[in-house]
Amino acid sequence: MKSSHLTLKIFCLIVLNDLIDTVAQVLMKKGLVHTGIDSVNLSNVVEFAVKNASSPFLWLGIFVFALNFFVWIVILYKVDLSIAMPVGSFCYIFVPVCAMLFLHESISPVRWAGIVCIILGIHFVSQSKKSTEPERMSNG
Amino acid sequence: MVKIILLVLLSEAITVIGQILFKKSTNSIGTYDLKAGGDRIRFLSKILTQPSLWSGILVMSIGLVIWLLAIAQGDLSLVFPMGSLQYILILFLAHKFLGEKIDRMKLIGTLLVMAGIVLMSVS
Repeated sequence: MKSSHLTLKIFCLIVLNDLIDTVAQVLMKKGLVHTGIDSVNLSNVVEFAVKNASSPFLWLGIFVFALNFFVWIVILYKVDLSIAMPVGSFCYIFVPVCAMLFLHESISPVRWAGIVCIILGIHFVSQSKKSTEPERMSNG
Repeated sequence: MVKIILLVLLSEAITVIGQILFKKSTNSIGTYDLKAGGDRIRFLSKILTQPSLWSGILVMSIGLVIWLLAIAQGDLSLVFPMGSLQYILILFLAHKFLGEKIDRMKLIGTLLVMAGIVLMSVS
């Protein structure tokens, strides 16, 4: 059975994919800070790569990133790409809302408008009807 | 300035093509019950032998390098709002190459998400 509409389970999977991606980015960023090279260019890019190759955080980040790729493939297996992509924009509101809730940072009115737009947009996209063609549905 | 905008547009177009290739690979492998252990293994071995999956990974890597070139010299406040463009690209290219339907809900929702991302990144 290959459904192409958004279920709560797939929605949660997409949010999980976003969260893991954020963790991977932070790990990779953390792994990159200890090289002492200010700006990377053609003349020092090899030195930069060699110095970073021994960074455990970088490799952990790459590992998490690669693992997350399989989560994304499962999402694509279950749902239309043109639904999965916009729903993935949930990550744009996740960080500022967490910063407000846990770090008591304020959110500007323009950003609130952006958050409302994204939530409404995800809602509309999730209301989109099953879009895989009928003949393919009957195969699956 | 124009050069950076072109680089960002190029990297987004390439990223979108990569996603289309990923979706093509998951569309072409038949039906698996991912709740069953045996089917999970079969799913994995089938998907990992799809040429479209590996073409997608190759295309994505090129897109990433161009993206890094763009953000290395570009103003992030310009580059991030432009990231919203890939949602509309996905909508139309997924329709053309994957047969995904564009209905009114999907179009309105996608435009709202794009507007939201622009608002989040300008403030």
